[in-house]
Amino acid sequence: MDRLALRVALALAALAFASPAAAQPIPALHVRSFVLALDKTSVNVGDDFHLTLTTHVDERISTLENVVLPNLSSLEDLGDERRCSAGKKGTECVETLTLDANGPGDRTIGPATLEILDPQTGRPHNITSNLVTIHVTGQAKTGSQPPPSDVLAAVTGGLVSLLRNILVFILVAVAGWGFIWGLRHRQPPPPPIAVAPVPAPAPGPVVDWATQFAQLSAALELEPTRPRALAVREALRRYLGARDEETLADLVNRNAANGKPKLLAALGAVERAVFCEDSRIAEAVREALPYLKS
Amino acid sequence: MLEGPPGLAKTLACRALAAAVGGTFKRVQFTPDLLPSDIVGTRIFDQRSGEFATALGPIFANVLLADEINRAPAKVQSALLEGMQERQVTIGPQTFPLPDPFLVTATMNPLDSDGTYALPLAQMDRFLVKIVVGYPSAPEELAILARFGGEAPPLPRDVATMDDLRRWRGAAHDVFIEARLARYIVDLVAATRAPHAYVERGASPRATLAIAAMARARALCDARTFVVPDDVRASAPPVLRHRLAFTYRTLTENVAPESIVAELIASVPVP
Repeated sequence: MDRLALRVALALAALAFASPAAAQPIPALHVRSFVLALDKTSVNVGDDFHLTLTTHVDERISTLENVVLPNLSSLEDLGDERRCSAGKKGTECVETLTLDANGPGDRTIGPATLEILDPQTGRPHNITSNLVTIHVTGQAKTGSQPPPSDVLAAVTGGLVSLLRNILVFILVAVAGWGFIWGLRHRQPPPPPIAVAPVPAPAPGPVVDWATQFAQLSAALELEPTRPRALAVREALRRYLGARDEETLADLVNRNAANGKPKLLAALGAVERAVFCEDSRIAEAVREALPYLKS
Repeated sequence: MLEGPPGLAKTLACRALAAAVGGTFKRVQFTPDLLPSDIVGTRIFDQRSGEFATALGPIFANVLLADEINRAPAKVQSALLEGMQERQVTIGPQTFPLPDPFLVTATMNPLDSDGTYALPLAQMDRFLVKIVVGYPSAPEELAILARFGGEAPPLPRDVATMDDLRRWRGAAHDVFIEARLARYIVDLVAATRAPHAYVERGASPRATLAIAAMARARALCDARTFVVPDDVRASAPPVLRHRLAFTYRTLTENVAPESIVAELIASVPVP
């Protein structure tokens, strides 16, 4: 409980001392995707799990600002790791939170929001992510601490606890005053825009690759177009671990010993649909479908 | 253009190609005392008629083999420039069109061989590809010994006609290049122009056209009517390698140009 109070105080203090003038400017970004995902769909009470927020933007950036994480009050935050890796096709920023649930039940997490300037209109946009749900099973945590084994330890522990509580109280008071001051002097925020430019995936459990691939293949069968074929090709390349500079021939050579002939044949077939003439796409997709279904 | 040490059958390969496609074939042995008129032709005064007559040079052929092209000085090499680019030759006041199809094949020894001259970049740029010929493997050399150890076998004759070549050329022009692949080709060539420790000058737009042409031809050979990324990737090294000007560091640090070209190609994502 003390730890929680200290965290709240620090958070409030950080909020209070961040004056409006020092706030991060809203960046103009082309956001390709903004997706929340869980590494597990079901955990036991006390087990760690990871919540990942992945953002793809066309621009080369070193950090992603103005991200508002979802409300995690029903969970315990055990750690946070952020990284942005820029490449030829833009930047991928991944924020991974390690979380732990104290009690059983289903918890829906999200959405996260990202505030950007629309590069075309110059107006601010709030992009919202999808929702994810985790199922927590087991008994709730008691949270009780074992008592000190002797009197001296008990007295010392009590004094330390008292001092810490006083410090926390002072910090909270200062932070609270600063927070109120900050609210009074803050510029009104720009009106949020409800429509997200990037369609977020449907809320629900994390979809595995095979399911996603089957969905993409089914979509290609229904609508044999170049973008659909390209999506299937990207999914296959991702599964085969293709690097940006690798062609089909490279993958065939690299995977010759791995025994993935069906996947490689499927990739070859769908690649023909991606790069053939417009008038032949439907025919090429028809030829590729048996490989994709196999 | 074929580059490699002496004795690797570069000339034989060019002669075999010329014999296989029929048409007229001329071979010019480039030497240090060769003159431009020895290639394109000259005007000769005819004493009996009292007029100048034009004697056409060996460039007027369907397939011209410029053997050991870098053994002649740059002014002789440059005599080929107009012919290779404009498909015509000017001798005195007259301009003569070259036969169609017109193909220049050349062999050259590496520049560290004695008595060779570096080809001007403008000349190099006009060669569609340069293929570096290396030494054969032991099994290949055994096969060479078996085939050429006694009497040399006859060259393959008239495998295809000139009309076939023209038809294939037209079919290659019709091969489809998707927009992403066209962009990939442009990006590959642009990558050679970015600042690089070992590259002094990048490739010209002629290289862009050459990669596209090679990729189309490769697709056609694979019985496809469209280009795939592998066609572009396979075509890029032989098209780019001889078109780049490398800095002195490639020599001092003994860096192979092939590895620089491979690195540049790998820096561009495949679409």
